[in-house]
Amino acid sequence: MTETQPTMPQPEPPPRRLTRSTTDRMIAGVAGGIGKHLGVDPLAIRIAFVILTFAGGLGLLAYLICLVFVPVDDPEAPPLKWGFARTVGAGLLAVAALAILVPDWFWGPWLPLLLLAGAVAYLLLRMVRDDAGSHAGRVAARIAIGIVLAALAVGGFVAAAAGSALGGGIVVAGLVIACGVGLVGGAFRGGARWLILPALVLALPLGAVAATDLDVRGTWGDRRFHPRSTAELAAGYEMGVGSMKVDMRDVELPPGRTDLRLEIGIGEIQVLVPDDLCVTTDAEVGVGVVNAGEGEQGGIDLDVQDDPRVAPGVRRLHLIADIGMGAVMVGDGFFDWDGPRGWRGDDFDALRTGTNRAACLGTA
Amino acid sequence: MTPRAGFDPASLASGVIVIVLGGLLLLDQADVLELPAKYMWPAVLAAVGGILLACGLAGPPRGRA
Repeated sequence: MTETQPTMPQPEPPPRRLTRSTTDRMIAGVAGGIGKHLGVDPLAIRIAFVILTFAGGLGLLAYLICLVFVPVDDPEAPPLKWGFARTVGAGLLAVAALAILVPDWFWGPWLPLLLLAGAVAYLLLRMVRDDAGSHAGRVAARIAIGIVLAALAVGGFVAAAAGSALGGGIVVAGLVIACGVGLVGGAFRGGARWLILPALVLALPLGAVAATDLDVRGTWGDRRFHPRSTAELAAGYEMGVGSMKVDMRDVELPPGRTDLRLEIGIGEIQVLVPDDLCVTTDAEVGVGVVNAGEGEQGGIDLDVQDDPRVAPGVRRLHLIADIGMGAVMVGDGFFDWDGPRGWRGDDFDALRTGTNRAACLGTA
Repeated sequence: MTPRAGFDPASLASGVIVIVLGGLLLLDQADVLELPAKYMWPAVLAAVGGILLACGLAGPPRGRA
């Protein structure tokens, strides 16, 4: 029988302390120390600090607290020599510190975008730092490039749509043709299929804008026009994007036809008229709804002409409306989209066909 | 008959389609041609379909087969 040697009791490992790293540091080694302590990539910690800094300065505050209260892992380590990267990093933190003065701008719709930017920055930096042949580097590179390409495509799509709707359609069409010429030229040099993506990114929104005749040049917002007399009544009203409300109830129109041109790129046109006024309509709508005396009509590429028989000498308002995307509504009360009963609330009372016909025949 | 080295028929077909579509859009934007929605949407869809078809028939680009 052999006696087993008694095992020596292992000394307990010292408790893992959070320290600032002197071997992996950009500024003061806080992120390096936290990453080592948590077993997380310090680069991710750094990016998290930057993102949190834009969240009302939380990241900067946390960094400063760690700087003061967390000791370094090697007090004998030589001081840090500041290079380009550290200077840029400190500069970014300084910019972020300015953001503390206006913290409200961060907590909003930009948060997901900032998080996405942080993720992309991490992947790109990891790709640059890793060996070219490493699997993680390749995966990171593909994900980062995919996100960047998707962002570029979405941005290009929106920019092309906005540029076309703002009157730059000819330029966008020229760029589409340039992509086509590049494709044809590249076909004899091994192919240039990558040009298909930018060509479609430009052509699709331009096609949508062209199909709807969308033109958003002009003023934006909510505008209300309330002429009190024919002298105050303009020949027409134009807007780019928003809500146009024209109150015609106080205008005493002369006998016969009075034309009123109304144009808006995206939005709504509401025209308020008295019950006894004859209203005729000629409306062109790219995508949307027309409710102007003939009931509600909706769809794409609408051309609504409501031109009933009108007795001679009857006061008649002839609306010539042009809308890229939105609604034309004629009635005797403003309509509130945010009303308690939704878009069919009681606020808006559409022009009644029978009443309008009677007004046009002078029998109202 | 083997295709010429360095020649990508899909790029050529796609380029021609894109040029035609861009030309239509240019004429529309310059108010030379008035293309209503009922013609514009099919034109755009036909262009996208034509490009996809050309790329599908031509196969992957050289060096990636």
